[in-house]
Amino acid sequence: MTTLAAAPVSPLRSEHPVPWKAMARVTWLQRRPALIGLLVVFVACALSIVLGQAGTHATYASFVANGCVQNRFHTPCGNFENWFAENTDLFSAMVIALHVVPVVIGVFVAAPLLSRELESGTFRFTWTQAVGRSRAVVTTLVLLALFVTVATCILGLLLNWFAHPFEIIGIESQWQSGLFDTTGPMLVAWTLFALALGTFLGALIGRTVAAMAVTAATVGGLLVVSFVWLVHQLEAFGALATNRLMPMGLNIGQLNVPGAQYNGPVGSWLVRAWFAGPDGKRLSAAAAYNVIGRMYDGPANGKVDPSRWLSIHHYIYWVSYQPASRFWVFQIIAAAILIGLAALLAFATVRIVRHRA
Amino acid sequence: MNVVETSGLAKRYRRTWALRDCNLAVPAGRIVALVGPNGAGKTTLLHCAVGLCTATNGNITVLGGLGAGSLDALERVAFVAQDAPLYKYLSVRSMVAVARNLNSRFDQAQAEERLRGLEIPPDRKVGRLSGGQQAQLALTLALARGPDLLVLDEPLARLDPLARHDFMALVMAAVAASGFSVIFSSHVVSELERFADYLIVLANGRVQMVGDIDDLLTSHAVLSGPAEESDLVGGQFTVVQTRKATRRAEILVRTTGESRLPNGWESDDVSLEELVLAYLRDPSASMLPGPLATDELEVSEVAR
Repeated sequence: MTTLAAAPVSPLRSEHPVPWKAMARVTWLQRRPALIGLLVVFVACALSIVLGQAGTHATYASFVANGCVQNRFHTPCGNFENWFAENTDLFSAMVIALHVVPVVIGVFVAAPLLSRELESGTFRFTWTQAVGRSRAVVTTLVLLALFVTVATCILGLLLNWFAHPFEIIGIESQWQSGLFDTTGPMLVAWTLFALALGTFLGALIGRTVAAMAVTAATVGGLLVVSFVWLVHQLEAFGALATNRLMPMGLNIGQLNVPGAQYNGPVGSWLVRAWFAGPDGKRLSAAAAYNVIGRMYDGPANGKVDPSRWLSIHHYIYWVSYQPASRFWVFQIIAAAILIGLAALLAFATVRIVRHRA
Repeated sequence: MNVVETSGLAKRYRRTWALRDCNLAVPAGRIVALVGPNGAGKTTLLHCAVGLCTATNGNITVLGGLGAGSLDALERVAFVAQDAPLYKYLSVRSMVAVARNLNSRFDQAQAEERLRGLEIPPDRKVGRLSGGQQAQLALTLALARGPDLLVLDEPLARLDPLARHDFMALVMAAVAASGFSVIFSSHVVSELERFADYLIVLANGRVQMVGDIDDLLTSHAVLSGPAEESDLVGGQFTVVQTRKATRRAEILVRTTGESRLPNGWESDDVSLEELVLAYLRDPSASMLPGPLATDELEVSEVAR
């Protein structure tokens, strides 16, 4: 049996500086396969965009050189437009790929972050080291957030660059829900949200595969909802109205098309269209279609100038739209909402970790 | 200074109390064995001491009043959890690097020297090490932190006898060199006496017995004599356990010193294993520190 003298007591440390560099090394050692995989995805996306943009460069240069930006009804412009319309595959693929990036980060980086620790029991090692459990989780999250922010910021800007010729020609618009979520700060925001949600679900569920599955379903589902519905709802908010447009076909109801397609303001987004009657009130859809029917079934036998006919009969065709100047405001508002949610989820995650017994 | 001090500590998991009204004061410089049957609350107590769980009631401090799990405490308390959970997909070298970066004071040279001595290859994946080597690696990482208190949860549970010996030899050598305190839980009661000098017995979430092992052994004795007189003799002591055969009886009792025994009765020393097992067999028996009462028979206070 052993009897020992009392242990010497080390002097207490009054300060505990956050060991950022050390935690960066730990994060790299612990998550090396996932981070390398992520880097490969980022580089592959970036290279694809650069090569795709290079492929459109010559045709777009000819489009500009022929003055098509100012007058697209000029003879050769149609050929360039057709070329772009027929060569959207890579662009569309990249828009889809960048939608998948937040899901990949949520599923393969964020969800296992804590669930694997809890499942394998290694939290009993990590959380009892001098760095402390809360600081370990916070610093790891911040470092990962910095990494994905830089990477997705670059990808978002590259996609903006790739999209520019398509936008000028009028085939695509940055307001379209696919591009809206993958360019500018929105790609960063979605990625940070996926990172925070995956980590939160991992801490909550504590099982790696289940956390990955729930994260994939949640982030993927929210992106689909955003693509199909949410972005359009957001873009309708506070739209301006004009009666100076005459979109082809006199569509009414939801438009959601680039302004360039109907000679609208450059870079604008047409949201909704409706008719106002002689009394200035908005017509119902049925009444509006009745007006259109009267216009084309009249003595002119369809050969009628809609603007003139509507003016004579005291009808006004209204279109609500968002001007190009508002695009970044909407991007920043939407991104701020997502980043705010991400911050709340990160806060909740730290609380779960701190109080997990 | 007490390395662990609890006051009315209680921990409940949903409807089950893992610890109840636990009052302890473990002095510094000891190697403390924490024993008890499965579900006694050993792991919960150790987890509370290292900040892995929070108390439902009461409080626990370490190293002279530091809040368990606080940053100040974590810097000076090293923990090796049951089954030594480490990152199995990392190499030993990377695992050492992780531990070094998670601790502000970490003696990497010491860790590498110990691993060389243990012949653990630095390039091998942790998951490919044997159970004994994984336990040794976890212990090496804990020791390299230069702790003032080392907490080991069932460190010997899955080790073969040789690995158990090597593991405890490493602990004892480090204690001899640095003089830190150790608390370890164990099921291997037979080997406690070789390593520990202080004992805590837990049963049903309560502290059943606690004290210096030498004191505990000298304050207990096995009395043997005619079975028909066992009740008479037993009545003069605090009986922990009675075993009767046809003609002879053996009574494990608590004493405070010399006692007068009737003719035909003998008093023998009790081994630590016998003592622990006797208390574990009877969860209602307890021996806790506190004011001692005396009576004319000079036996210790009745605690049953």
